[in-house]
Amino acid sequence: MTATAWNADELDPLQQLTNNTIADMEVITPIKRRDGIFSTRFAGGRVPLTPSPKTPRTQVISQEVQTESIHHANASLMSRLQRSVSKPTRESPKSNIASRPSRDSPRRIDLGLSDFTLTGTGPRPSTAVSAKNTPSRARHGRATSTQRTPKRTQSKVNYTAADRFIPNRTASEAISTSGAAVKLDSNEQTPGRRPKSSASSDGSAVLAASAASAFDIGRPHSSSSHDASAGLSFEGLSLNDGQEDDEDEAPKTKASPNTVAYQQSVAEACGVSIKQRILAFKPAAPESSRPIDLRSQYNRPVKPAAASASQFRRRVLTAPERVLDAPGLVDDYYLNLLDWSSGNQVAIGLERNVYVWSAESGTVSSLLECPADTYISSVKWSGDGAYVAAGLGTGEVQIWDVEDGTKLRSMYGHDTRVSVMGWNKHVLSTGARSGLVYNHDVRIANHKIAELVSHTSEVCGLEWRADGAQLATGGNDNLVSIWDARHLNAPKFQKTNHKAAVKALAWCPWQSNLLATGGGSHDRNIHFWNTTSGARVNSIDTGSQVTSLRWSLGYKELVSSSGFPDNSLSIWSYPTLVKNIEIPAHESRVLHSALSPDGQMLATAAADESLKFWKVFEKKAGTANLAGLANTAAAKGLSKATTIR
Amino acid sequence: MPSATPSTTSSDKSKLHKLALKGSSKTVVEFFDFACNTILFQRGVYPPEDFTTVKKYGLNMMTSCDDQVKAYIKKIMSQLSKWMQKSKISKLVIVITSKETGEHVERWQFDVNIFQDPSKAKRTTSSGDKENTSPENQQSQSASVTSDKTDEDVQKDIQALFRQITASVTFLPMLDGNCTFNVLVYADADSEVPLEWGDSDAKEVKNAEKVMLRSFSTNNHRIDTVVSYRLAE
Repeated sequence: MTATAWNADELDPLQQLTNNTIADMEVITPIKRRDGIFSTRFAGGRVPLTPSPKTPRTQVISQEVQTESIHHANASLMSRLQRSVSKPTRESPKSNIASRPSRDSPRRIDLGLSDFTLTGTGPRPSTAVSAKNTPSRARHGRATSTQRTPKRTQSKVNYTAADRFIPNRTASEAISTSGAAVKLDSNEQTPGRRPKSSASSDGSAVLAASAASAFDIGRPHSSSSHDASAGLSFEGLSLNDGQEDDEDEAPKTKASPNTVAYQQSVAEACGVSIKQRILAFKPAAPESSRPIDLRSQYNRPVKPAAASASQFRRRVLTAPERVLDAPGLVDDYYLNLLDWSSGNQVAIGLERNVYVWSAESGTVSSLLECPADTYISSVKWSGDGAYVAAGLGTGEVQIWDVEDGTKLRSMYGHDTRVSVMGWNKHVLSTGARSGLVYNHDVRIANHKIAELVSHTSEVCGLEWRADGAQLATGGNDNLVSIWDARHLNAPKFQKTNHKAAVKALAWCPWQSNLLATGGGSHDRNIHFWNTTSGARVNSIDTGSQVTSLRWSLGYKELVSSSGFPDNSLSIWSYPTLVKNIEIPAHESRVLHSALSPDGQMLATAAADESLKFWKVFEKKAGTANLAGLANTAAAKGLSKATTIR
Repeated sequence: MPSATPSTTSSDKSKLHKLALKGSSKTVVEFFDFACNTILFQRGVYPPEDFTTVKKYGLNMMTSCDDQVKAYIKKIMSQLSKWMQKSKISKLVIVITSKETGEHVERWQFDVNIFQDPSKAKRTTSSGDKENTSPENQQSQSASVTSDKTDEDVQKDIQALFRQITASVTFLPMLDGNCTFNVLVYADADSEVPLEWGDSDAKEVKNAEKVMLRSFSTNNHRIDTVVSYRLAE
């Protein structure tokens, strides 16, 4: 709670604001502590006449102490001296009652005769006289026997105190309390009566006090009979203490009995108690970091409207639309073996074959078979849906015309397997195990047009932005690189936030500079990036390996597929990052996913060698895709909903 | 006259009484601390991720782990414990206020009843202490006669109360999640007041429904809990 502790932390402006207020509070603590000192005097309600509740007494006291005249200060000092002596020696209770008790024992005289006594007697305006008188008396006391003089000095003190009325009042009141009566009973009766009578007037109080002290002197101090009531005498003492400290402000705060009675009757009439006050902790409570949605905490809504959002939350079909066998699907996280074309055909690489399955007709055909010494490591449809690029384990890239079923060309360059590819019009980007990414212009003989050097380990994620201006690549070196298509000699941004391989990459269809990336099993996070500024804008901890990410075209949502341990599909709202649903999709990890051209259907291929189709983004009637019109115009020919036979 | 010295019997007994009072005050202030945290969590004054669970009263209690909120509550509780030890407090109130409208939407009131010696209690009732003559006083009287509770009993009572506070979110109306809170105390007029504290109105909820929750008592205190909330329009 100390200010330093606060400053040590990294603070946002809001925090700093409250920080300041706390610092303010710190500043006032000394005063508070001072209050504490004074307040102990009043503790336990032992002060019979409490000052008006309306006055903040503590402050008055502290001021008074500072502005007091010398005499006052000395007087209180003296009284403190007396106290300090009288407490440990357990003076007789009676002397306590007499309010200025304790200077009658021989020991105390030595102290009492000090200079404090001189000034202590002089709180009266006519200081000259008293100052003159007292020293002589004090000297006299020192010269002669111990008995008489102290008594007189004391009575003097008492008198002046009485003049200033507070201590004397206490004295008389203390006497009238039952506690005092007990004490007196334990002594002789006569002195007990005298103090009582003294309560009637200030003048007689002097007499009473002197008489009481006279009685004290007659006996050795603290006889055994008093020990029993010693505790009580302390009570009396502290009573006086409180009052002595009070003596300066009491006159101001004390209202006449009439006033008090009047206040009381008024307060009663208003139904307010003047004995009680309602206090509020004034500093404002710290701001909440965000508005809280209590729906997460089992509350019934006040207004049904508030609940509507949750009630009308989109229902997602959790059963697969169709399940196909995918025998021989290589269980390798780094490969990319599934793609869905704009022509509504699904290509999948199974070991050495690439099969094309037509979603329209439900027919399947084997497109190609690679040599026996290698396998298919990646498959990608060109943007127009006419060609399939197939990456091989040898590093060869083949381009096939699907309609004719003929190979158009082979492109060499990589000496390691090509695990990921991406088309940008006529440019095919290929990422290999070596960490290199090549761009090929498939139209020309000298096809290699760029070499993108950034990754040091296998590139397993590669995605062109829809407009072709940026390219994102992810690798087994936990790196996400974002490239500007015009400057391919170095990545625009390199992001090291992921703690595992980055295979899942997806560009947001409605916000072109938003990229989602998902990390592998040691990372499990989905990060969202602003690719203009390079800033990370959001993150989700999914709890399992992220194997692919796809944005919905129709909803502000994205779907992630999971590996160990969930093997599920999760649909997240963006930007709220609320998980709408989690579908337990496969028996083993989901390796690949692909979205249908109309954006409603998701195909997933998993290590359990099955290919499943999910209608996760089912379109509501009459809603347009969020994606730009460019897409829809291009796909006008296939504007009818995807069908699967 | 009304504030007669509380311990005029024998010094031994008064000392014992004070010690017990101190321990009891500690229990009560600790309860307030947890109650405050629980309410802030349950009523969504601060987001759930700002809270951590702590085992207490045999329950998983939610306490804030936000530094500012922690410091704020600590400040209140330290002052409260000073007051409690001097028996200056008769009520602690947590008021939840809408930030948008400034309306008080919910008010959690904890009444503090201090048990006195049976003889004393009788005296105060007969002298007609206007504030406390309600049934509460008689209850406290009877309770003080029977009360000799072990610590376990007290913890069990508090546990039951916290269960009830937690369960109460099922009948309380939903808050819009954009609320702040205030802490009020009803203190004796002669209490000494630090600068952070100032006089206030009762901050009552308008058109409120009140629900009395369980009570719990230590050997020296009994705490009654009432929640008042705004009725749905």
